[in-house]
Amino acid sequence: MSALARFRSWLRAMTRRPALEQEMHAELRFHIEAYAEDLMCGGMSREEAMRRARMELGGVEAQKEAMRASLGLRLWDEPWADLRYAVRMLRKSPGFTAIAVGSLALGIGANTTIFTVAKQVLLDRLNVPHPQDLRLFAWKSGEKPVVHSSWGQWDRLPSGQTTSTSFSYPVFQQLRRENHALEDLFAFKDAGRMTATVDGQAEVVQSEMVSGNYYQQLGVRTQLGRPIQPSDVVAPSSGAVVVISDGYWARRFGRSPNVIGKTIELNLIPVSIVGVNQPRFTGAKGAQSSPEVFLPFSMQPVILPKGKDSLLSDTKLWWVLIMGRIKPGVPEQSARVSLDVALNAAVRATMTIGKGEEIPHLILSDGSRGMNYTARQFAQPVYVLMSLVGLVLMLACANIANLLLARSAARQREMSVRLALGAGRWRILRQVLTESLLLSGLGGIAGFGLGYLGRNAIPRLLSNSWESTTFDGRFDWRVFAFTAGITLLTGLLFGIAPAWQATRTQVNSGLKDAALTITHRRKGYAGKAIVVFQVALSTLLVVGAGLFLRTLVNLVSVDPGFRPQHILLFDMQPPRTRYPAPKDVALHRRLEEELASVPGVDSVALSAVTLVANGTSTVDFLPSGQSRNSAKEQSVYINPVSERFFTTMSIPILAGRGFGESDTETSLKVAIVNRRLVRQFFPNTDPIGKTFDSNHQKFQVIGICADAKYDSLRHEVPPTFYPLYRQLLDAEYGMTYEIHTQMKPESIIPSLRKAIQSVDKDLPLIDVRTQEEQIDATMQQERIFANLSAGFGVLALTLACIGIYGVMAYTVARRINEIGIRMALGAQARQVLLMILRESSWLAIIGVAAGLGAALFLTRFLKAMLYGLQPNDPVTLIGAALLLFMVAILAGWGPAQRASRVEPMQALRHE
Amino acid sequence: MGKQLELLQGTLDMLILKAVSLGPLHGYGVLLRIQQISGEQLEIQQGSLYPALYRLEHQGLISSEWGESENNRKAKYYQLTAAGRRQLRSETEKWNKMADVIAGILGTTPEEV
Repeated sequence: MSALARFRSWLRAMTRRPALEQEMHAELRFHIEAYAEDLMCGGMSREEAMRRARMELGGVEAQKEAMRASLGLRLWDEPWADLRYAVRMLRKSPGFTAIAVGSLALGIGANTTIFTVAKQVLLDRLNVPHPQDLRLFAWKSGEKPVVHSSWGQWDRLPSGQTTSTSFSYPVFQQLRRENHALEDLFAFKDAGRMTATVDGQAEVVQSEMVSGNYYQQLGVRTQLGRPIQPSDVVAPSSGAVVVISDGYWARRFGRSPNVIGKTIELNLIPVSIVGVNQPRFTGAKGAQSSPEVFLPFSMQPVILPKGKDSLLSDTKLWWVLIMGRIKPGVPEQSARVSLDVALNAAVRATMTIGKGEEIPHLILSDGSRGMNYTARQFAQPVYVLMSLVGLVLMLACANIANLLLARSAARQREMSVRLALGAGRWRILRQVLTESLLLSGLGGIAGFGLGYLGRNAIPRLLSNSWESTTFDGRFDWRVFAFTAGITLLTGLLFGIAPAWQATRTQVNSGLKDAALTITHRRKGYAGKAIVVFQVALSTLLVVGAGLFLRTLVNLVSVDPGFRPQHILLFDMQPPRTRYPAPKDVALHRRLEEELASVPGVDSVALSAVTLVANGTSTVDFLPSGQSRNSAKEQSVYINPVSERFFTTMSIPILAGRGFGESDTETSLKVAIVNRRLVRQFFPNTDPIGKTFDSNHQKFQVIGICADAKYDSLRHEVPPTFYPLYRQLLDAEYGMTYEIHTQMKPESIIPSLRKAIQSVDKDLPLIDVRTQEEQIDATMQQERIFANLSAGFGVLALTLACIGIYGVMAYTVARRINEIGIRMALGAQARQVLLMILRESSWLAIIGVAAGLGAALFLTRFLKAMLYGLQPNDPVTLIGAALLLFMVAILAGWGPAQRASRVEPMQALRHE
Repeated sequence: MGKQLELLQGTLDMLILKAVSLGPLHGYGVLLRIQQISGEQLEIQQGSLYPALYRLEHQGLISSEWGESENNRKAKYYQLTAAGRRQLRSETEKWNKMADVIAGILGTTPEEV
């Protein structure tokens, strides 16, 4: 009687199904024959006895069915039969199946692709044990924080408050000592690019500096060698060791196990490789990609010197990121409070607090995703993309629901027959739903395949030719679960309307072929409602595409104020270890000369800030003779450049003079200002010859240049001044070289590289690209959105077209009789044509109106992503409406024409 | 042959258990045995016999194996399992109690009320 016995019996029946069927057959045959023999003993003829025996048993097949039911096999058999039937039905109409599966595959594939990116941006956690226990330290302060200089994330909130995740190294050490509320605190820092020299070949790698207990507290091991240990960090400048990433190991060392103990140079300082990280470990910065090298903090003063002193004892600069794991049994709130007290004490102990300055308050934020930089940067675009592909999938669903409805109308006779033969309505509902789910399942499989093929498409779009990608198209169970989930959901979504209709079939009216019955009008409405929905969705997508396309067009047609054609760019970061200031300026001057003499080079320029690369550098600015007015914005943009910068970039000098040979390291510091700056700081006066103070230095204005875009095409040209870099005596963060040449980049790069290596063979060219590529890269997101949304828009229009055509063709077919009568009574072909067109126009008008209404509401969320137009841009809205309307007329034209050519006699004989 | 009685709802399972408790039987044999011990008074719908047998086996109350019939043909023989024996005992008790109660009710005369 136990459930176990039943399950065992069921399992046995399932696993030896053929034998079971045979046994049932044999058993029943034995029964019939034995009974027949007994009857024959009573004098009955053999045939009569057999007939009687069979009759009394009541049908062998029915018996078997009841026996199977006894074994609990029906629950399995019936869906299986439904499925086989569904397969047969789909095979019978390959055209419909192809359209349905194809559009679903596109919809689901697009969703899968976007989800793989979204998952990384919004969901992926650090690949360490128990990432949910990690807390990232941050602080918040009022308008005047005691912290003045930082290297790292620094946000000013709309409320005027400041937040940051950076701490000074002494504060970290004191916090770590005082901490009892969390597990041992550890620190790390994304230390940016370093020059790695392996076997005499220099290249650029990303680095992360870590505290000695970093690996210990994260709980990760190396796959080879050992991790960085507390013993590596005993004293500053000690611990010349490095752990490399799996990717770097594979790329640079061919996964050779001999790499352990090998000495390489980082920024020309020899360090030895002690370990190789696990393949999936990406460091504590983020879960997307791993820096190539991990080195202990103690190496900062040697490898990455900043200023004269070691950053490890610098109390002013806040730059270190701190993490800790929560302790079981200690509530997070009390941990925060006790650490806040410790932070307060640490700040008081290490800094002098000025008047009105505020000591920051500690925040414990979720550290399971590292610094979560990508989420901040990409969350909005990802949400918009998810919404777009969601709309596309809904559109595909609507389309299939429409097709299915038309089909179910055609299958009404079949349903009636089944109902008449005794099928339950539930059984029919299940049958129809099985068909829908089979369709969505096929679409889901195809979509998953498409998503897998396209998994790298978005990461590739998000990256550029000269930088490694932040994302990779990693598939895992969550992507699979997501795809399976939306597949099931879509199947139910588009299956429910037809299934509902199937169960409402009237046996009586369905069996009569003259289908002009009461159900006709209602069916028409369901299909039309879906078409209106489709038109509305399409309008929305077309509006979105229009907005993004116009944004891109606006951006492309922006005049940058300089000529980006024929400009080749690369960056140069001479290691500070070999070129401390002012040797670096001398080196750049030397390189400039070498490069200028390379055949094919027209002119060479240098700038500290690359134009239109989203990078900014601001300084204070005070014209001589003006008093410091704290209320007024006194900071301007600065870009230290070389003599020939303005001629190379074709930025005209409007007044005064450009830089010349007479401006040297020892002469008076000179600057060229742009018109925007003149307008703000020297209104109604001639600034030439005037002086100003900036960063404790005095500059003289010698010329005015035209306004040129600075960090981005989107932004207004900011007030900017251009000093001569060699007069600043320091090029700490490296320089970008601008080479004007008529030659192709790939044919001139080798000679440029040779020229540089003739000066120093250890200097790599970083990020070689053209100025046009550089500008394109800043418009990447706009380009992606324009391309994708245009693609979705076209897809939407196509689907809407199919929908309108389908529903109108169906309407015409149903009304052929009526149209025949109208024409017999004297209606003109034109009148009939207009009648049908009017109907499809109404569908379009209602749909477009609904779509525009939704667009007016929804597009406001895109405001930040648009350029040069408002979310309710009338050109786009009206354009989209007209386009949809035209498409609707076009789609309705065919059926309307067919209706107008109806021969009255034929139509009346149609039944 | 007098007029046969129709089986009371829900009693077929019990009768099958009783029939096979007297010794292993094939399906047709179960039919014959019940008719025989009822003195040919019960009519069993042949259509419900095999689903019932399968159901009982599914529940683990009877087990089956293939064997030789009286006239040397292969037939499937059913026999009671331990669980079936317990079930039969409790069903019998329940039935007897029920029968007593019902008989008592039906046998009540006006004087006894």
